Amino acid sequence: MSATATVAPTPGASRADETAPVRIAVKNLNFFYDNGFQGLKNINLNFHDRQVTALIGPSGCGKSTLLRTFNRIYSVYPGQRAEGEILLDGRNILDPSIDLNELRARVGMVFQKPTPFPMSIYDNVAFGIRLYERLGKADLDARVEEALRKSALWDEVKDKLRQSGMGLSGGQQQRLCIARTVAQRPEVILFDEPTSALDPISTGRIEELIEQLRSEFTIAIVTHNMQQAARISQFTAFMYLGELIEFGQTTRMFMNPAKQQTQDYITGRFG
Amino acid sequence: MTASSTPATVPAMQAWGRVRSGRRSADRALKVLATAATVLGAVVLGSILLMLIVEGVRGLTPALFTEPTPGPGSEGGGIANAILGSLVMTAIGIVIATPVGVMAGTYLAEYGRTSKLAALIRFLNDILLSAPSILIGLFVYTLMVRPMGSYSGWAGGVALAIIATPVIVRTTEDMLRLVPGALREAGAALGAPASVVIRQVTWRAAQTGMVTGVLLALARIAGETAPLLFTALNNNSWFSPNLMGGVPNLPVMIYQFALSPYDNWRQLAWAGALLITAAILALSIVARVVLRGGKSR
Repeated sequence: MSATATVAPTPGASRADETAPVRIAVKNLNFFYDNGFQGLKNINLNFHDRQVTALIGPSGCGKSTLLRTFNRIYSVYPGQRAEGEILLDGRNILDPSIDLNELRARVGMVFQKPTPFPMSIYDNVAFGIRLYERLGKADLDARVEEALRKSALWDEVKDKLRQSGMGLSGGQQQRLCIARTVAQRPEVILFDEPTSALDPISTGRIEELIEQLRSEFTIAIVTHNMQQAARISQFTAFMYLGELIEFGQTTRMFMNPAKQQTQDYITGRFG
Repeated sequence: MTASSTPATVPAMQAWGRVRSGRRSADRALKVLATAATVLGAVVLGSILLMLIVEGVRGLTPALFTEPTPGPGSEGGGIANAILGSLVMTAIGIVIATPVGVMAGTYLAEYGRTSKLAALIRFLNDILLSAPSILIGLFVYTLMVRPMGSYSGWAGGVALAIIATPVIVRTTEDMLRLVPGALREAGAALGAPASVVIRQVTWRAAQTGMVTGVLLALARIAGETAPLLFTALNNNSWFSPNLMGGVPNLPVMIYQFALSPYDNWRQLAWAGALLITAAILALSIVARVVLRGGKSR
């Protein structure tokens, strides 16, 4: 009984490309909360270009903490700090000289709960574009449409772009947030449990969307749902108590994990 | 423990008679006390309003809104100058207090947060919120009236602003704190500087609550008397665009006329009191409607 994994990747899942260039290289990363708690312990990990990497592990294992270092969103809260190196295209983003706003325009993020801004659907998508680019109306319209199409939302909202984004359903709101992120043309998109607040049908649509977005963006996704990790990712990192236990191709991780802890977690023995 | 075993029958008396009669009567007594307290409060408020309406309605004539306050011993007259003076000074007060209050509230909620400076400001603001308004009148008297050598509408407006500011600071901070942190993170995650997130996201999300705070501050200062006694005082002449010298206003007019020996003055005081109460009531209702409208959106 102990050797069989209950979660097998779907046969159609695209194969991992280990020869893809490394987009984000994490080196000896440690992370400390303001109360001194060490959330990440000496993490070393590579994220490959245009591949989906899933971060899995039980609650409190540090997977969200790790994700939140890639755009340094943790620095919104004083007292939290990261040590080590995170190289994005060869540059250490933990370097104090990095322009945080520019970094966040390059590394987009989608959150657990949909966070539409209290403004129209159009303005939600245009928000990120307007921050860094001065576009004419026609160009801006085109960018908004492009982003909404890429997020599989265009057909549902094209006739009500001026209505509030808050009026959409949960799944639509989440796709709106993805559109908002995509519109900025980032290189990397971070997903922090993007479907845990959604119903199964909305979840399915988001998963399809992530698969499509992979052709253009490097994606990291935190998920509690192991089937989801198996379905949509090419690489999987299993974390436990702030440490990276195992990392590898998703297919191998789920079929033939090297570590006992990984095996126990993916077979549902704890977590 | 198998599900198929028949559960033992529980004696009915044991299951239903467990609430002691003492508990029941205590419950009843508390209900009576609470209801009585509510009725008492409502009756006091109701009788004040009733008397105000009965006495005030008689004074509601067209002249009330068109004629200035009459001199001692003269017949008739209105309170047009006091209404206008009150409107102008309340406007000055709110125009000064709103930007200061909104900015300070924003600092506390968005920038200062848990810092020592923010805690100090919050503490001082709470003190200011409950400071006796006559003290604020005296403060502005020393600050403006004495150096300028004259009572003025400006001083009255500033005194009202000082009373309105802490109300706005408090509601602005409270309303901004209700905005989920996830929204701020989402803004920051798009590379928006804090100033942009505040202006375009958090303020918008807290908009209705913040407007309500300003309306409540408006209602609060519209009826203030004490801070105006030392600053705007009163005068019986028709209102002039010059705000220097005493500026007539409803609360001080009510105070002076109600204590006067002239019947027509006392009637005008009642009418003025009714007007000001109606205005404050209307403001409070508008504030509630705005807030409710914002919540259902």
